[in-house]
Amino acid sequence: MATVPPASTVAGHGPQRQRPSGALISVAGAAGFTKPDRELARTVSIVGVGDSDYAADYRASRAAGPGYVPPDDLSLATIAFERAVADSGLRREDVDGLNTCFMYAPADVGEVCSTLGIHPRYALAEGNIMDDVIPPAVVALASGRCDTIALLYAAAPRAATKRVYGGTTYTDDRGTPVSYYYFTPWGWSSQAAHWAFIFRNYQNVFGATEADLGSIAVALRTHAQRNENAIMRAPLTIDDYLESRYIVRPLHLFDMCLVNNGAVCLILRRTDASTGLPHVPVEVAGWGHAKVSADKMRNLVVERLRPQFDEAGREAFAMAGLSRSDVGLFQGYDASSIHLVDQIEGYGFTDPGTGLEFCQDGQLDLGGSLPTNTSGGMLSEAYMHGWNHVVEAVRQLRHEAGERQVTDVTTSMSSVATTDSAHPLLLTRGG
Amino acid sequence: MPERRPNRTLGGVHDEFWRFCDQRELRLQQCGNCATFVWPPVEKCEQCGDAGLEWQPVAGTGALMSWATFDYPYHRELPLPWDTILVELEEGPLFVSNPLGFTRDDMEPMMPVSVDFLECEDDAGPFLLPVFRRRPL
Repeated sequence: MATVPPASTVAGHGPQRQRPSGALISVAGAAGFTKPDRELARTVSIVGVGDSDYAADYRASRAAGPGYVPPDDLSLATIAFERAVADSGLRREDVDGLNTCFMYAPADVGEVCSTLGIHPRYALAEGNIMDDVIPPAVVALASGRCDTIALLYAAAPRAATKRVYGGTTYTDDRGTPVSYYYFTPWGWSSQAAHWAFIFRNYQNVFGATEADLGSIAVALRTHAQRNENAIMRAPLTIDDYLESRYIVRPLHLFDMCLVNNGAVCLILRRTDASTGLPHVPVEVAGWGHAKVSADKMRNLVVERLRPQFDEAGREAFAMAGLSRSDVGLFQGYDASSIHLVDQIEGYGFTDPGTGLEFCQDGQLDLGGSLPTNTSGGMLSEAYMHGWNHVVEAVRQLRHEAGERQVTDVTTSMSSVATTDSAHPLLLTRGG
Repeated sequence: MPERRPNRTLGGVHDEFWRFCDQRELRLQQCGNCATFVWPPVEKCEQCGDAGLEWQPVAGTGALMSWATFDYPYHRELPLPWDTILVELEEGPLFVSNPLGFTRDDMEPMMPVSVDFLECEDDAGPFLLPVFRRRPL
């Protein structure tokens, strides 16, 4: 596939998204995202999940001596694929659909298929962060283009030999330079700077302190301690947080997501073909999309994407026939701690300005009203661009999350939130 | 001695912005159709899609909306810690800039500021960079 110049506003550490070119998206809605459709609610289920060894790979990469070669995208993806196939109870030959989503190097679909030993009739490499990957797969399955699709994500930033981020030329789909590149003459750079502006304004408006914000990192680290595959599991206190170095003041190290190599594979089938498999199917119940169209900085720093979370959340709930009170697990895009707060408040789980108090009250904990990022999220488990959030939601909805299981959970909302768009996804326990 | 800065985005409408700065003038595009002020520069109005954009002088005054200080070296040209500010211009747009003559320790929410121009240079040569000073009430 063609390499598209890195663009847009993905949270995190560079090389940026490629907007899908459209072949997969037959029912494109706003900004090219797959339109929610009530007819498609629960017609497709996630039947297999697999992920790589985030923690072990991270330790190996940190301890690397001379000659150490970190695993590349394809080798990580192969591990995730094999695990997802085994998890699904299906045979490799059953996989007749593939969307390869490699973040830091374009995937050669032919090479991927031959490595995995599959011969899909429907194969593409148009995926990206977990913003609009599952909805087009639902469309492909519902329209009979394939019967079993593997969505295969890999990110190997620590294996990348060439750093492609930095510079001033990256543009979004309107040809406008992405903000943090545009503002480099003022020394403004990196996604982290967006989050810092947001939190400083949040402090100005609501009077929050750094220690208040630290409660997010601490809550997610507590979750990660119950996840053996989480990269960061050492106990973290508010004092540790406050003593940690600043990256972009007022944000500390622990407000920023990790950077690691890893892969995730999800296997989806039509729900009516998902019975008799080893695990309870997890149904794709609803999704929504909303994107800022103008005045991005104000929408991000001042509005904190509230209009977008509200609009996209309504779409998702309407498609699923559910309401906010049905959500028993939230898996939000924690590129930064404050952006997770933006989502919790933006979708209406708590009022604007009360998100940190909500966290300090224990509402994000396993026994709280909104258990959140229960595997540790991108702050403490792994930075898998929202893909790991879906894996955790599936494990929770199957009631297979072990010591971090949310009791009797049947509905999750996962959410990808960039600096200018919102992408909620509702999953429900099937069977 | 001009300050060395990371490169500007140049070409097309961007050159027009910097040409006004070189005359110590802060101008922003305003839509001839819906009157919205736009920043950063665009080819078409973000609000209504109209292509009739005019470079209008703005007051150069505003209020401090937010700020952030870099403690991690993203740009090797710049000393750390490095202060950045977000100014809400009177005409509406939010403008990322730097403080001149004050630092993070002096900053207060909605503090009044006004534009000044700092001699800088990048790979394309010398230029005047719009930055902001405290404005007495």
